[in-house]
Amino acid sequence: MTSPLILLPGDDVPPENFPASSGSAPLRLGPGLRLLSSQPTPTTSSKSHSTTHVLSTTQPGILSTDHKRNGLSMQTPPNRRYIPTANDLVIAQVHHSSPDYFHCVVTPQAPQLLLGQLSFEGASKKTRPMLKGGDLVYARVLSVGMGPGAEAELTCVNPATGKAEPGGLGPLTGGMVFDVSVGMAARLMRASSSSSAEDDDGAVAGLVILAELGRKLEKVGGFEIAVGRNGKVWVDCANGGDSAVKATVAIGRCLSAVDELGLSPADQRKLVSRVLREMKVES
Amino acid sequence: MNKEAPLSIAERDFILNALREGVRLDGRDADQLRPLKVSFGEEYGHVKVQLGKTSLIVRISSEVTKPHDDRPFDGLFTIALELTAMGSPAWDNGRQGDLETYVTNVLDRVVRHSNALDTESLCILKGVSCWSIRADVHITDYDGNLVDASCIGIMAGLLHFRRPDAVVKDGQVIVYGLDERVPVALNITHKPLAVTFHTFDEGKQVILDATRKEEQASEADVVIGINNAGDVCFVSKFSGSPVDAMVFVNKTNVALEKVKEINGVIDKALQADLAKRGKGGLAEQSRAENDR
Repeated sequence: MTSPLILLPGDDVPPENFPASSGSAPLRLGPGLRLLSSQPTPTTSSKSHSTTHVLSTTQPGILSTDHKRNGLSMQTPPNRRYIPTANDLVIAQVHHSSPDYFHCVVTPQAPQLLLGQLSFEGASKKTRPMLKGGDLVYARVLSVGMGPGAEAELTCVNPATGKAEPGGLGPLTGGMVFDVSVGMAARLMRASSSSSAEDDDGAVAGLVILAELGRKLEKVGGFEIAVGRNGKVWVDCANGGDSAVKATVAIGRCLSAVDELGLSPADQRKLVSRVLREMKVES
Repeated sequence: MNKEAPLSIAERDFILNALREGVRLDGRDADQLRPLKVSFGEEYGHVKVQLGKTSLIVRISSEVTKPHDDRPFDGLFTIALELTAMGSPAWDNGRQGDLETYVTNVLDRVVRHSNALDTESLCILKGVSCWSIRADVHITDYDGNLVDASCIGIMAGLLHFRRPDAVVKDGQVIVYGLDERVPVALNITHKPLAVTFHTFDEGKQVILDATRKEEQASEADVVIGINNAGDVCFVSKFSGSPVDAMVFVNKTNVALEKVKEINGVIDKALQADLAKRGKGGLAEQSRAENDR
């Protein structure tokens, strides 16, 4: 395996690191990369690359190439500030509302993002959700503006289908939000998106904490979790009954401990048992 | 932009509900401090304090100045605290917020006005020259309970600091460098510390050493300044909803216990640091007794 390629903001991505595309599939860019220009190459013969892309990085990190999905992304250091990127799932907090939009806070001390009053599943003028300041929404970043004064927009529906896709988008009620680093949030996203497909050893990025918590907390009614790429994790144990609060706090403590200490999978399992015992949650 | 991010309704409700069940977000008891770490830098009076995720650096410095005309026998002691963007993105450089005014005020009352540092001992020559001691507090990370953490830092710094020796000869003030004569420790009369409590649920739940989120969700705060001997030198409840008088009575005892615990941590760190410095230092070289 070749040594990882570390790029700084403004560096051009060398073309030899592009995924070997099959030609038709579009190139998928992850966060931290920006397309500067793409030109169709003169189709001389049976060249597989039909377009030449010029990519530039906007964040420092390690370049990773995904040949299977024809994607490129940057692995950034864990504690970097969150910068909205299109298609990210985030947990936003409504700040105030105006006739057409909810103004949402995704990162504190950063410009607010707009969430259309009607961009919810099945929302019409009469049925739209009435959110007030301080309410939480699980939303997808629809677009990020370019240049000064540009406004980024959020949405809770897929504009093409009118459904809340992926599932779970919309207002979050109850529960608790825990802050984790942005890198940890990204790891949790990767872990949860693949854990359904694989068995309990599906340790993506060395993260087994969610699977372990899910197994241990099954008896107290399980829990709901929503991970926002902006470093927020919403947890709710609505079926937990008496131990709901304790279980929620236990999950939050486990997440922040794994985030801060960088535990190995075995240590993560030990941590879950220890925290649950300390919090006196029967498992 | 320069504002603390407000807490969401869900977080506020959850913190309150959890406290009603006697659970805190980090699993602590209501009267339990976060892990406290006090360490010293290379020079005298350079302290690093880490209280949970709140961390700060205190630097004590001294210089010779003229005393105030109305108090010719007194030296000067100032505490300078500035909340800069280094500590939290919610703070602006060079702009004073409410928190900064509040913390400075409390520190002034607890440490300065309680005469923890004997300013009369800072006088060198009446009305002509005296020492001016300055404590600079730099917040490097903020997760609540700034008052207690800064107080710990300042007191540890004052205990650790050594000022250069100065003598008066024929009406002339001579200040010896730190390498010429053994530097002098400050005259600390007592060790007061602030202990902050936050109240929730109409004063029914009272917790110690709140994190930022807990502070934001709380109704009111109660600061008790107390020293090892149990002398209360400062009590405040500036704003927020009313607090029952019994809270003050009961929590004073808790505060005393915590002050003893914190002072123990400071003393231990000081001893360790002095032992490290003692080897081959000037103080050891200039000792009168020897091992012969």
